[in-house]
Amino acid sequence: MTSLDTLFLVSAATLLVALLAGRHRLAGPVLVLLYLAQFWALINTGTLYGDPVDSSWVITVLDQPMNWRYDALSWLFAMVTIGAGVLASLYGAGAWMEKYLATGRSGHAFHVALAANVFSMVLLVGAADFLTLFLGWELVSWASFLLMAIAGGIAAKAAMRYLTYAFSGAMAILGAMALIYAEVGSLEYQPFIEAIPTLGNGQLWALLLMLGGGFAVKMGLIPFHLWQVQAYAETPGPGSAFLGAISARMGLYALIIVLIGMVGIARLVQLEIPYTFLSSRELLAWIAAFTIIFPTYTALQQHDARYLLAWHGVGQGGYMLLGIAVGNAVGTAGGLLHIFNHAITQAALLMAVFAVMYRTGTTDLNKLGGLVTRMPLSFLVLLFGIISLAGIPPMAGFVSKWMVYRSLLTEGMPLLFVASVIGTLGTILSVYKLIHNMFLGQLRVEHEDVREAPLSMLVPMLVLAVLMFVMGFMPGLSISWVAAIQAQMGLPVVDYHLGGINDPRGALDMIWIVGVLMAGFGVGALVFFGLGGRSKRVHQLDNYAGGHFLYAENRYHYTDNFYAGLMHLVGSWYRGSFAWLERALVSCVDFMAYGANGLYRFVQPMLFVLVAAVAVAAWAV
Amino acid sequence: MESQVNLVDLVLMPLIAFIVGMLMVLLMRKIAARLQRRIGPPFFQPLYDIVKLHGKQTQISHGLIHEIGIVMAIGGYVAAVTLLPVPGMNGIAEKGGLIALAYMLMIPSLGLALGVGQCANPNGSIGISRALTAMLAYDIPFIIVVFGVAFMFGSTNLVQIIAEQQAGGIATWGIVQSPLLAIAGLFGLQAMLGKQPFEIYIAPAEIATGPMVEMGGKFLGGLFVMQCFQLYAASVLYTSLFLGGGENWITFLLKTLFVVEIPMVIAFLFPRYRTEDVVRLVWKWPTLIALLGLAFLMH
Repeated sequence: MTSLDTLFLVSAATLLVALLAGRHRLAGPVLVLLYLAQFWALINTGTLYGDPVDSSWVITVLDQPMNWRYDALSWLFAMVTIGAGVLASLYGAGAWMEKYLATGRSGHAFHVALAANVFSMVLLVGAADFLTLFLGWELVSWASFLLMAIAGGIAAKAAMRYLTYAFSGAMAILGAMALIYAEVGSLEYQPFIEAIPTLGNGQLWALLLMLGGGFAVKMGLIPFHLWQVQAYAETPGPGSAFLGAISARMGLYALIIVLIGMVGIARLVQLEIPYTFLSSRELLAWIAAFTIIFPTYTALQQHDARYLLAWHGVGQGGYMLLGIAVGNAVGTAGGLLHIFNHAITQAALLMAVFAVMYRTGTTDLNKLGGLVTRMPLSFLVLLFGIISLAGIPPMAGFVSKWMVYRSLLTEGMPLLFVASVIGTLGTILSVYKLIHNMFLGQLRVEHEDVREAPLSMLVPMLVLAVLMFVMGFMPGLSISWVAAIQAQMGLPVVDYHLGGINDPRGALDMIWIVGVLMAGFGVGALVFFGLGGRSKRVHQLDNYAGGHFLYAENRYHYTDNFYAGLMHLVGSWYRGSFAWLERALVSCVDFMAYGANGLYRFVQPMLFVLVAAVAVAAWAV
Repeated sequence: MESQVNLVDLVLMPLIAFIVGMLMVLLMRKIAARLQRRIGPPFFQPLYDIVKLHGKQTQISHGLIHEIGIVMAIGGYVAAVTLLPVPGMNGIAEKGGLIALAYMLMIPSLGLALGVGQCANPNGSIGISRALTAMLAYDIPFIIVVFGVAFMFGSTNLVQIIAEQQAGGIATWGIVQSPLLAIAGLFGLQAMLGKQPFEIYIAPAEIATGPMVEMGGKFLGGLFVMQCFQLYAASVLYTSLFLGGGENWITFLLKTLFVVEIPMVIAFLFPRYRTEDVVRLVWKWPTLIALLGLAFLMH
């Protein structure tokens, strides 16, 4: 039994415990321990810096062997998955679960769904051939559906929509696998990699479009992104944080192993789109750039904190793909690093938002405000999170985005650079709205008695906040992981040190930057608190109101249509084109269904039998 | 590449920035006064103002974040100016570069925005909404300019960018090599400094609907200090990108003061645009000019 088998066994055991004992009062804490055991088992495989490890189990299906193998890339994805599992289950183990049960929901279903998600993802990222990949893919789809659907109502509807998308994607992947099998005669990776140079451009295009399209659905790339937001936002608290952190990245994992690991950037550059100047790599980069811009600016219009963050989750995926599509050492490293950095950021943000929901019962950005005086630690976590999400120093998100920008500069891709910065600017606008509407401004009368989130929810939030800061202060810690991946995949390896990136033409050393920034804050504090008179705190209603008298029931908080001036100009640019496209497709299918229905109703059923019989007879003859 | 960082530089650079910044505030007020046929304030007026505001007896605070916001606004600039090389001092310019600087300059704005938000005054929030919208507007041409210059010199390291411009005299200055980018940058500078016609979010006539509505005493004093740093950072950045930086302290001061003086002279020719008109204008002309400049470079 190899160390990988141990990991799978522990992961399966977690699922089993959740299935059998999920109703027990202590199920939550026990599962946290089991997720921790999974984490330990993963570290124990040592596949990040060491050699890949194979599973000793090989299942043969229809003469096709199915085997699993962990390498450095699998390690990174599994680490984020299991880490998100640990923190999400911890978040949901205590007070959150009590309230969840009190509303009549099933804790059992929740535990099972989360454990199933972790287990299926751990299996997926270890896939060592297409058949195993497809099996993992389907398992992940079903597990995600389970987690999305358990809340019922709108969530179940969103989950059904997800399932429709996931199935269409899976069909495309299945089609591609059939093509590969027809062409290569095997579903294993190695024969396919060897056959790629012999494939014609047309064949490769067909394969890439089908595989890429299928994977893009999971990743939420434009134009297949519409399912994700509602499905993720409506999932119960810790589940949403888990899905937001890692679930969509499974699509990216598959894209990386196919596009980078098998086909290779060099071939993508050669593969041109007929009748244009664009290569398939540029197509990929532009899809990534639009995936950054459109969802980010849709987030700007949201008035529910969960939806706002979920839209950003879609948008941030674009940065990862963009860095990977650029393909130089710094770019790939930045894209891969952003997977981890975004996971900790998004999980922290969603946990903070759900902590507010736990205490106030709403995430409507027009019904909150002033909570910083009541939930200061949650505010702090959200503040760290938005700084990281917007990619501003000193948090982790800055480092990975810096690397993506730097790679675009080196490669001389100005429009993509501008596109990615436009995305960042939109992020800054929308995250300010998030923190302002929830935590700053006027505290409502009904929130006077709100308290800080319970400890069991605060601990994972604070752990993530510390991680965001540490990985921004000493990014070398996490860059070492992606450098190991690059080395193992045979890509150019990024030149890094503990503080950041070495580059004679523009380096980054976060230890200095963060150190000086902290010193600057110290100076600022000295100037502000040391010089000048003592300040006097006043009540929030002791405020300038143009001569009006403010009283407690007065709403004195600017929240709705926050960027009115901007929307006045760009509001009409939001056309909902993608929603329109989706509706058009649905109508098409509906129309065909009506047609078939009509045929079935109005034509004699006997006729169908006759036609079928004639067809069978004709085929037999 | 291990370049030594001189700790004395790190102390001196913010101090110099503050003093030169106050000088710039004075220059601005003098120009405004002369254009309006007034004499203008005495030499030490900016310093008097800062001392006066800090020494006021009534200091109204709306909570801890209100105070921390001001600390972030000052502290962010104190740190950011160490990324801007001046003659004889590089600070941590080689540790960060242009992209890190561009994002460091957002920290003070974020601090100010947080502080204003905590005031619980919707008028302040409206001001921040306008200020952030303006930032979205002018940062787009600005970022094209930054890309263009970094691409032109093949580096994001400001020390190298300056050194390469100084290597061949005026002929290798950014403004000569790419005049279109320099024009677009000047546009962006005007908006970045919050000068007419792009100043609605901090205009004196709009106090009641601006970020300053709940700011008084040392809170306003802190923002005054921030303004000094802001003027300094923007003009030194422009000088470093297009005017070859400072060969010595005299040319450095001349160039930076000259850069600050341009928006000031232009400012009084214009009325004030509404926020959406700022966006419309900035996304049209400077962005087009910058893209054109970029097209010439990439060609």
